[in-house]
Amino acid sequence: MKVSLQWLRYYMDIPVSVKELCDRMTLAGFEVEEVIDLSAGMRNVVAGRIVKLEKHPDADKLQICQVDVGAGEPVQIVTGASNVFEGAMVPTALHDSHLPNGVHIKRGKLRGVESNGMLCSGEELCLKEEDYPGAGVHGILILKDDVPAGEDMCKVLHMDDTVIDFAVTANRPDCQSVLGLAREAAVVLGVPCKIPAPVYQTKGGSVHELIHVDVQDYDLCSRYMGRCVTNLRIKESPDWMKRCLKAAGMRPINNIVDITNFVMLETGQPMHAFDRRDIAGDQIIVRRARNGEKLTTLDEKEHVLNDSMLVIADRDKPSCLAGIMGSMNSEIKPDTTELFLESARFRRDNVRRTARALGIRTESSARFEKGIDVFRCEYAMERALQLIYDLDAGDIVDGVIDCNNGLPEQRVLSVTAQSINDLLGVEIPHDVMVNTLNALSIETDLQNGILTCRIPTFREDIEGRADLAEEVMRIYGYDHVQGRPMRGEIVRGKLLPQRIMDNSLKQLLCANGMYEISTYSFFGSKTTAMLDLPETDERLQTITIRNPLGDEYSTMRTQLVTSMLTVLATNISRKNPDSRYFEISRLYKAKSLPLTEQPEERPALCLGLYGKLENFFTLKGVVEDVMAHFGASVTYEKSAEPYYHPGRQARALLNGQSVAVFGEVHPTVAERFGIGQKVYVAEIDLPALYAIHRDQIVFHPLPKFPAVNRDIALVCDRSLPVARLEQAIHSVKSKLIQSVKLFDVYEGNQIEADKKSVAYSIGLQSDSHTLTDDECNAVMDSIFEALRAVGANLRT
Amino acid sequence: MKEQLKAIGEQADRALEKVQSLSELDQLRVSFLGKKGPLTALLKQMGSLPPEERPTMGQLANQMRQHIEEHIEARLAVLKALEIKKTFEAESVDVTLPGVKLPKGNLHPLNQVLDDMIDIFQSMGFDVVDGPEIETEYYNFEALNIPADHPARDMQDTFYVGDHLVLRSQTSAAQIRTMETRKPPIRVICPGRVFRADEVDATHSPVFHQIEGLVVDKGITMCDLKGCLEQVAREIYGPDAKIKFRPSFFPFTEPSVEVDVSCPECGGHGDSCRICKGTGWIEILGAGMVHPRVLAGCGIDPEEYTGFAFGIGLDRLTTTRYKISDIRLLFENDLRFLTQFDR
Repeated sequence: MKVSLQWLRYYMDIPVSVKELCDRMTLAGFEVEEVIDLSAGMRNVVAGRIVKLEKHPDADKLQICQVDVGAGEPVQIVTGASNVFEGAMVPTALHDSHLPNGVHIKRGKLRGVESNGMLCSGEELCLKEEDYPGAGVHGILILKDDVPAGEDMCKVLHMDDTVIDFAVTANRPDCQSVLGLAREAAVVLGVPCKIPAPVYQTKGGSVHELIHVDVQDYDLCSRYMGRCVTNLRIKESPDWMKRCLKAAGMRPINNIVDITNFVMLETGQPMHAFDRRDIAGDQIIVRRARNGEKLTTLDEKEHVLNDSMLVIADRDKPSCLAGIMGSMNSEIKPDTTELFLESARFRRDNVRRTARALGIRTESSARFEKGIDVFRCEYAMERALQLIYDLDAGDIVDGVIDCNNGLPEQRVLSVTAQSINDLLGVEIPHDVMVNTLNALSIETDLQNGILTCRIPTFREDIEGRADLAEEVMRIYGYDHVQGRPMRGEIVRGKLLPQRIMDNSLKQLLCANGMYEISTYSFFGSKTTAMLDLPETDERLQTITIRNPLGDEYSTMRTQLVTSMLTVLATNISRKNPDSRYFEISRLYKAKSLPLTEQPEERPALCLGLYGKLENFFTLKGVVEDVMAHFGASVTYEKSAEPYYHPGRQARALLNGQSVAVFGEVHPTVAERFGIGQKVYVAEIDLPALYAIHRDQIVFHPLPKFPAVNRDIALVCDRSLPVARLEQAIHSVKSKLIQSVKLFDVYEGNQIEADKKSVAYSIGLQSDSHTLTDDECNAVMDSIFEALRAVGANLRT
Repeated sequence: MKEQLKAIGEQADRALEKVQSLSELDQLRVSFLGKKGPLTALLKQMGSLPPEERPTMGQLANQMRQHIEEHIEARLAVLKALEIKKTFEAESVDVTLPGVKLPKGNLHPLNQVLDDMIDIFQSMGFDVVDGPEIETEYYNFEALNIPADHPARDMQDTFYVGDHLVLRSQTSAAQIRTMETRKPPIRVICPGRVFRADEVDATHSPVFHQIEGLVVDKGITMCDLKGCLEQVAREIYGPDAKIKFRPSFFPFTEPSVEVDVSCPECGGHGDSCRICKGTGWIEILGAGMVHPRVLAGCGIDPEEYTGFAFGIGLDRLTTTRYKISDIRLLFENDLRFLTQFDR
């Protein structure tokens, strides 16, 4: 909310500097966002009267002016402008002056003649015609004749002001107004605040004979007030009002429009002025729009309405979007003679939704959206009528239209002063509380330690002790709050088991050379389809955001692969070195679609790697490490995901359930992400692994007797997975087999075309004695027999 | 014979002086002290001496043997030292060549800062809890005293995924779930991912992270809130860090405050400090006393218990700690970015 200092001064004295005012308001809850110096840096520019004009002896186009600047001898200034004349009052930039456009003016010589400054055009003072009459003219700005010579141009142009932009929190809609902020500033500075008490005289007649108002939807409009003014005398507003509007960034138009705007800024209550000629049937109907009904607003845009929107209509048509904007031609025109003035309370969320739906935002809608209290429209109406009377803008008709469905009673809260201090932990003297609350317009008595507070209607936010405590504290000062160290039992906070497991898992992954990444939880609606999944795949059952920022952020993810591929693609395209990444994040699995209940949020781990040294088995190594980390004994088998290389992908089964799928990404899929090289991705389901409770580690005694290693080379069909050989070896139930290590796989010239050689080192050991050859041979024979059964023979 | 012994000794001394390698030394040992050596030969002639001279000569011969052996040992030590010196010379490396490293990774900076924060709060007795990211309107709004007509409920700010389901716009939703399931005294933080319909730019992201804190007990006051946050500020910014409250507004706390910490860059002394813009303070979080209506809604009697809550923006904490200029870098995952947070 922007407030000019001059405007604030109408209501109160400001005995402190701007900086101190800002600091103190900030500490009371009104943060200062910006301080704007309206002079825009203009210094040492004054009004001057040209008392003598001569031609320059050496230049046809230059003239030498003697300018009276209100002090001592006239100042000699050379100008190139042709529109100056003796007796003209002109803006005069003196020696060492600054213009708002940043130019610094100094004494100098023009063609040998001394010039002690510069006469200024409207443009040089950054003025437009609407800012000052004549400012748009080419040439020097000729000021009004009644401007005194020597007057500071900042003052002449109403630029001698400072505007402070206060951030107003959502609980204080009453401070979306100059008066609201003046009330606060007065309390903060400890000075009285003079709230205008409207007084005016009416000219007879009856509003009820001129207009009939019918509110059909009280749920959206809890109060609607109307007055009439006849014999309008439309003219320019007085200077003081124009400067107030300008300081707030509004353009003065005429006295009636300016009064409604002024009152809106002053009280926070938007008002609407209707030309009574435009109200068909002399009827105002406050109703929901009909579906498909059309309205062309003042800005010449046609809107199609629906029955969630509130309009102000007459007998025939809607003429105003309630609280937002009027229709074309319903506004006050220079020849308007009779005025119907509206001051109402519309429901804030309804105004907000309608304004958003139609893409309109006005000063009025912004204020209604934040909330208007039900009594403010009454005060604003009185204030507007007072201004109409004071400015002689028309004749006020007797009678008030006031439609409402019951006005709330004043609320009275009783709390003990001690309970306020108990919440704050600060001992605020009780009389300080009473004085502070009274200053804030909360009429408060103290009896037997109990505060009885009458809450003003504009403070709908105050409901109980906590609110009163805040009111007292923000004025008393939060610097009185002394930090008290945490008390209680000395305990270390606990982590959820999942976080503990994630932390150790992340350590493992970092130790595997992987970098953790963080990606958005949503992506494009077509993203998952890039994986070529069959239509029935549950990963295509995605939760969609109804109001996304754009399609690329519209769909909650059901898999992490595409996010990982995007990150791999980014790094590959930027020619970053070979690298490994991981992400632990949630997948969103709808129980049904469209979503009617909270979905399962299932944590998952995704690994991604690329580079010269990477292949399916480097990836599998990390997957195996993860499985081992959780103590999961899994089996691996070929999988058939469409987005992996058909011959280089696998899944890990834990008790028959898939807990991981991984492989080389299918080149066609990689290509879609702009990846032209081999990349490897693994997806690991975490809840299944979290669920495994690893037995407590128990130490095994170190072996006392030597181990025997037997290396064997086998020949089998090339297509036989080595897992089958290992199963066969392990099928021999001998306690002596301590380890089975594969150390070579060979396919090539030395062996038949469809065969391969596989070599294992078998470790045998007993914990009770040194093994004999015979014992070892017996075990090995059993192993060979089991291997033969699956089609593997000793290589000879 | 004495002369012969003496001659052998001198001969050996001369030979030793010339020996340059361990193998030559070995040969020399054999040639002087071996079975075919001159000393052995001389001893064999002992029989030809008169018996009374034999003990003296024997003693002399042994002394000579010992003398030669000692000299060989001495020479051996010298040669070994030379040999090892040569080896070292041959094996010496350019120590300025880079070391051989195992590949390693590190955590994302957001999670490094989060881990630090969790550690601080754990040490202060806060349990770390979790909550769903897709929330009901009840937990995200109603229970937090954000009524249906509040601007935050608008589709413009919050992502909707169902009629009454949203992507949580604050971790405060987890406050409610905590208060519903735990009895006071409560001391928890809930770190997590939150979502708001902010267009992506250098300082905004539709996905970001918060750490919500909640303390509920008998007799909790604003002084406890300040004391708690002072301790946190000192842990993060050092022992001299101070904090300041400014009044603010959040629907779920009353009174509500913005909390500033003394500028960690200039300590409040730098007029031209670009971190605090010369104000001496930087805003770090929002906090307040839990709104009585929020407590009551969770079945906690606000007459008996009071509490405080605070919400820290993890992303901002991370970007200010590492002076990261653009929040988008956090989600882009460029290796050259990620590797900078190795610690």
